[in-house]
Amino acid sequence: MAGFKTAFFNETVKLMKKKKIMAAAILSILAVIIGQVAVTAIKHGLGLRVVGSTEFPLVVLSVFTYTILPLFATFVAIDMFNGEFSSNTMKLTLTRPVSRFGVFSAKVLNVALFILANLMFVMILSLLAGLLFNPSSAGLMGMIKVVLSYVVTFFPVFVFALFVVLLSNMIRGGLAVFFLSILIYIGLNFLGILFANYASFLITSMFEWYTLWISDQINFFKIFRQALIMAGLGTMLFSAGYYLFDHKEI
Amino acid sequence: MTNKAIIISDLTKVYQNGRGIIDLNLEINQGDIFGFLGPNGAGKTTAMKIMVGLMKPDRGDVNIFGSSITEDYVNAMKHVGCMIETAESYPYLTANENLKLFARFYPEVDQNRIDEVLEITGLSAYKHEKSRKFSLGMKQRLGIAAAILSRPRLLILDEPLNGLDVEGMLDMRRLIKHLAEEEGTTFFISSHLIHDIELTCTRVGVVYNGKLINIDDVQNILANYASLENYFVSEVDRNGRV
Repeated sequence: MAGFKTAFFNETVKLMKKKKIMAAAILSILAVIIGQVAVTAIKHGLGLRVVGSTEFPLVVLSVFTYTILPLFATFVAIDMFNGEFSSNTMKLTLTRPVSRFGVFSAKVLNVALFILANLMFVMILSLLAGLLFNPSSAGLMGMIKVVLSYVVTFFPVFVFALFVVLLSNMIRGGLAVFFLSILIYIGLNFLGILFANYASFLITSMFEWYTLWISDQINFFKIFRQALIMAGLGTMLFSAGYYLFDHKEI
Repeated sequence: MTNKAIIISDLTKVYQNGRGIIDLNLEINQGDIFGFLGPNGAGKTTAMKIMVGLMKPDRGDVNIFGSSITEDYVNAMKHVGCMIETAESYPYLTANENLKLFARFYPEVDQNRIDEVLEITGLSAYKHEKSRKFSLGMKQRLGIAAAILSRPRLLILDEPLNGLDVEGMLDMRRLIKHLAEEEGTTFFISSHLIHDIELTCTRVGVVYNGKLINIDDVQNILANYASLENYFVSEVDRNGRV
């Protein structure tokens, strides 16, 4: 356990020192600013009120979840596995008194931490932007819905990241993993449109499961079913990823 | 408490191309400076990678201070420092930050110890420089610093002199002798620089075609051969290589 804690902390330090974090932060800020400028332009130019203060973060989330967030989660996952394998730095951690399970878990939890931190960062930014430009429509219920939406969005994106982690341990080249992840991501989205009845089984379709949590009539059964699918898929992807990582020869 | 630092038993690992190591059996006493000699592709690095858990053997096991590397990895590696194949570091971190990462795995290692190993390896002046700017020799020194950081009882070093200049080689040899004499550190070293092995090691094992063909004390060898190089050539020739 001590080895895991150290590995986890070290992975966080390494993550913070990389430029990808800064790029993710800048793109997240840009996404919020562009969104707010568009909303303000429509409001003042056409006289239409597109969103209220606590609706704005949800509009940002709907775009952010399908673009910047999975993209950077993919980058981080690839960097943690393929990046370290190809630069030969994986052995630096693996030859310390820590089990491979400890190292794998520490890396995966750091991917999770990145996704959660990115979501929270965008939530705070978009909430501030929303409140600043539309202060009149703010409400406690709206705020709770925003927080809930951002928090639950973590789970499907994390499961997708676990899929990238699996690919990273399966394929040697980071670039190949990146393009394959993008292709599969697009493919899953396409399948979700083509077979709408089965879309709830596809992880990319679950990216918007937060709408289930904030609708007026909450469908608990559907939430429970999707949570179980995600838990099952997550467990399988984690186990398969760990199996490959454990058997990796360096 | 066993006086064996390493017990390698029936260690076998064969790659698809037929190379690897076959039924390697070897015991290293505590305090030994063991030189692992062999031509390229003989299986030295494969054996060392298995010893530090970077590879899994097809069969056999390695025990380090009584703990099996395949069954009790964390305990087996508690007292081991190593540098395998190439000296690596995180290029986006400074020398100090790199060592700080490794230090967290050992509760007894603090900033004073980090400063001490940087001093020992001659990197104090470059402490706050990112390792991507380091020369090959400096990277090698940083690799050594990382290996000795936790005051390990066993150091497994694969080609530790790679990239070092003459001064660096002399420093390295002095360091190995110092650690073995003052701290009782056991060494398992592979090197293609036979002369250096002759000057540094107390025992030598020759591996050829994946098999350990002989082990002897350096003193015995030098009593019968003009140099370790002559012994090595003779052993390799005797086992089929012209």
